[in-house]
Amino acid sequence: MDLATHQRALLGLFRGTHRLRPDDDPYVHAVAASPDLVEARRNIFLWRVFVLERTCVLTFRLLRRRGLLAEAIEAFISGTNISPFRETQAPAFLQTVAGHPDPLAAAVARFELALLRAHEGDACAGTVDWNVDPRGVLHSLARDLPLPEPPERGWYRIAVSGRLPALFEIERLA
Amino acid sequence: MDLARGIDQSTSSGVAGPRAAVGTTYEGRDPGLLHRILPLVDYIEVTPETISEVKGGEVVLSDAVMAELKEVSRSVDIVLHGVSLSIGSHEGWSSGYFRLLDAFLEQIDVAWHSEHLGYTKVDGEHLGIMLAMPRTEEALDLVCERVRKIRERYPLPFLLENIVNVVPGAPGELSEAAFLNALADRTGCGLILDTYNLEVDAHNHGLDIQAFLGELKLQNVREVHVARGVEHNGFLLDVHSQLARESTIRLAQQVVRGAAGNARLVVYEFMPEATDGLGRDNIGAHLCDLRAAFAG
Repeated sequence: MDLATHQRALLGLFRGTHRLRPDDDPYVHAVAASPDLVEARRNIFLWRVFVLERTCVLTFRLLRRRGLLAEAIEAFISGTNISPFRETQAPAFLQTVAGHPDPLAAAVARFELALLRAHEGDACAGTVDWNVDPRGVLHSLARDLPLPEPPERGWYRIAVSGRLPALFEIERLA
Repeated sequence: MDLARGIDQSTSSGVAGPRAAVGTTYEGRDPGLLHRILPLVDYIEVTPETISEVKGGEVVLSDAVMAELKEVSRSVDIVLHGVSLSIGSHEGWSSGYFRLLDAFLEQIDVAWHSEHLGYTKVDGEHLGIMLAMPRTEEALDLVCERVRKIRERYPLPFLLENIVNVVPGAPGELSEAAFLNALADRTGCGLILDTYNLEVDAHNHGLDIQAFLGELKLQNVREVHVARGVEHNGFLLDVHSQLARESTIRLAQQVVRGAAGNARLVVYEFMPEATDGLGRDNIGAHLCDLRAAFAG
């Protein structure tokens, strides 16, 4: 087996995209059947958890409290081609969750992504619209407390900017 | 923990013990840790990727951490240890790594730089983990050619580290040691030997460490790494979350002795995420033990 074939087969096994064929090299069959592969894939998952827990604190906590974390990380791993840089994973993950069907998860991710940009000095990091009062939600997430249930309804907008003293301002729209 | 009692630091026989400088990992942003470790080490190991951040869509070195490391470099030597070059990818390496390396070297002098003998991507797709090279002549030729290019580009010593076999190793034309020997002989590249990685491979895949060390040309080893992870589902994991075991340090001593003065540095590696759990004082005490173990 040449190097390219070897590496492509292992990539496929790690990604779960390689369908074993009888004429695959015996080594590929051996790896596919090995407990090592299962353990390694689990470690890839846990490594993401480890990094994202530290770098996307608000979004990570929200997803975990709503029972959406594992699914979101699985989708992130399978749907993005992300480098092993720790610091590149946070914006990529937040970008992914910003499109989440759960509106609160999407809003928190968009807010945290804008906050990352504001920390870099971005003067127009973004605005995020909410259909619940973000103050109680963000307060709970920042302290890792249970979320207000149900969150207080209302239309709010958060402007995020590196020029603001606290990096963001909350405005009630209606 | 009195690690020192279990490892060789005696010269009662009149024969000098292993001698090497001691270093450890530092990734910035932790002045409390830095204050504790800096008086205890001769070298700080820096991974360019982990002191980087995304700015305007580009991965760049953190200005704040670079300023910190400039200060550090006044009192100890810096060595660079990359993780994202992917020197063994069949289609080519990650040129983005060189941008970080260039930016670092423009600002701070380093004693040498190093990477891992493996690959993290295939056809541009990230694996999410680093895999070891198959030990074939084709793989050896590819890595040797790339090492030569790196050595042409940077007038600094360049080292490659043995990595763990995450999955069972492919049947190869060369043994693990023969592959490393040929790599060093053909290119002049030095080796980093991670003795915890050897223990991981022994535990997970039955590597005969003493046979491996008996075959390896230890004089090619310039740096030794010690670390420790955890065991899960019967597998020993290559995560740097613990203080090194006595057995790992004894192996490092064996390698330093065998390298006959060429292995100049022993680095204790740990992840910044593990710092709080390990405790800064315990990390400092561990470095003291290592200094004693490699004091000669």
